[in-house]
Amino acid sequence: MSATDRLRQHWRQRTTFAVIIVALAYLVLAPLTSIDAAQQVGLPLLTDRLWFRIATTVAMFVVMASGWNIIGGLTGYASFGNIAFFGLGAYTVGVLVANRGWPFPLALLVAPAVAALFALIVGLPLLRLRGHYFAVATLGVGVAVGEVVNNTSQLGASTGLTLPIVRSDLLFFYLMLAAAVIAVLTTWIILRTRFGYGLLAIRENEEAAAVIGVNTTFYKVAAFCIAAALTGLAGGIFAQWSSFVNQENVFAISDNVQMILMAVVGGAGTVLGPVAGAIALELLIQTLAGGGSGAVYSQIGLGVLLAACVIFIPRGVIDFFGGRSRLSLRYFRRTLHETSV
Amino acid sequence: MSQFAQQVVLGLLLGGVYIAVALGFSLVWGILNIVNLAHGALVIVGSYITWDLFARLHIDPFLSLPIDALALFVIGYALQRGVINRVIRAPLLFTFLLTFGINLVIVSLLLLIFTADFRSVTPSYSGSGLHLGSVIIPYIRLGGLAVALVLASVLWAILNRTRTGAAILAVGADRDAAQLVGVDLRHIYALTFAIGAAFAGVAGGIISTFQSITPTAGDPYTLQAFAVVILGGLGRVSATIAGGLAFGLIEVLGQSAPGLGAGYANAIAFVVLVAVLVVRPRGLLGRLA
Repeated sequence: MSATDRLRQHWRQRTTFAVIIVALAYLVLAPLTSIDAAQQVGLPLLTDRLWFRIATTVAMFVVMASGWNIIGGLTGYASFGNIAFFGLGAYTVGVLVANRGWPFPLALLVAPAVAALFALIVGLPLLRLRGHYFAVATLGVGVAVGEVVNNTSQLGASTGLTLPIVRSDLLFFYLMLAAAVIAVLTTWIILRTRFGYGLLAIRENEEAAAVIGVNTTFYKVAAFCIAAALTGLAGGIFAQWSSFVNQENVFAISDNVQMILMAVVGGAGTVLGPVAGAIALELLIQTLAGGGSGAVYSQIGLGVLLAACVIFIPRGVIDFFGGRSRLSLRYFRRTLHETSV
Repeated sequence: MSQFAQQVVLGLLLGGVYIAVALGFSLVWGILNIVNLAHGALVIVGSYITWDLFARLHIDPFLSLPIDALALFVIGYALQRGVINRVIRAPLLFTFLLTFGINLVIVSLLLLIFTADFRSVTPSYSGSGLHLGSVIIPYIRLGGLAVALVLASVLWAILNRTRTGAAILAVGADRDAAQLVGVDLRHIYALTFAIGAAFAGVAGGIISTFQSITPTAGDPYTLQAFAVVILGGLGRVSATIAGGLAFGLIEVLGQSAPGLGAGYANAIAFVVLVAVLVVRPRGLLGRLA
């Protein structure tokens, strides 16, 4: 590496770091200026309620994309059914709060546990499958669980469950933000432990990993359960936030794909890739979807974007940070050539 | 007892639809190693073409099937040649995501063109059927099964009796070796996908005769095609026929079981899928693991 390269890399790292700090500061401080108290005192309003909704959604997808990343990105098992964990988390909170009258915080603690337990039960048979088989079998889990829930009268069947409304944009924003931080930290910690190396080894070559003593079944199922717990947590918060749970809003196949897309676009297998992907894509989707017929165009845009990303930036946008690759026409041509026939 | 016989007949007839849907899916998967998540969307494109021709020009749905095939053949060839060929050497996840993106685009375009209204094709004979004692065989369903079996024979003939078919099988067996002996990979890939899409189009035409269609009506068919291929086994036309008939039976009998109903179609498909994958990963008649 030449001296200029090193200098460039140095500056790029500096810039990335600064951007992250500013973004974090904004995330933490901006909401404070929009609460009603601040309004009364006459502090300048940096944000409005729509901002909260979008920011909370972004944080939710950071959790889901990071959760998917643990099983799909680190372990190499592309799950297409993580929405089941989200839905189960949401329904756990829904049932406990709406039907049993539990306080929301207590119910929220149970949500990740239920999701993880479910991941353990379906993970044992499913994680024996690979490639297409695993992907479609998990896709089936997502659809099937949603269908069963939709047909179970104790769970409100197709009408869904209505929770008592808690009016606090701030509370749910910080809850989702906390969940996002937990998700990112979990990934970061995993990547620094023996467990993380085991997962990467499974992704690269499962037989070889088994030969050098990685208990592959345990590692895979554990990764699946961690991913499920994180996704279930997001689902649990979502249930109380939207105060309404039914099959359509918590088992949405489009959300299922969005979380995968975010992780892949950002950079699967990295700590910050899913975060970058979730922020960039969710803001893009919110911009494209102007409501009404705009939703259709946003779906088309999403599909085209998905295709373009898969073809041109298979390693995700995170590849351009930290000096590994440079965004250029040559990069696109090379990635295109690598996978074409 | 006669009720049971009726269920069995309906199951086998429904199996015909699944055969038609799964033939193209199985071909693309077996040869290109792509699980085409846009398959259901291609099926529904065929349904809309049949519906459009029926609604505007009053063309009989069974007569419009060749038009579905032709239109989808062109679309399929263009999709594979222009887009999917670009990621054919990428990891599985990428072809998966790409075909999902294509699915999203097709479904949204259908939504723009045809809106989300339910559409149905109702030829004059749609209510009538053949009475065998107490068992009724609806003509439309019977026609669907017949078309499916014709499709299966056509596919078998293409693969086993033509030079192009030999090239397709060669590419499926060993991509690089096929290229070495002079097979034009890009063309054969595109052709294989185009045949798969054409079959999907015909399946869509059949489906439009007995089911109301919406732009998203194709999504369940992707999962069901997958279940059929898993159930029968990959790599053989006969396996797809066996898988389709078995799956049709399981679905009809499963839904008539006490406590279950039409709302459980996907859940039944999923349970079948996982059970077969765990117990007998090769499927009933499959060659490949």
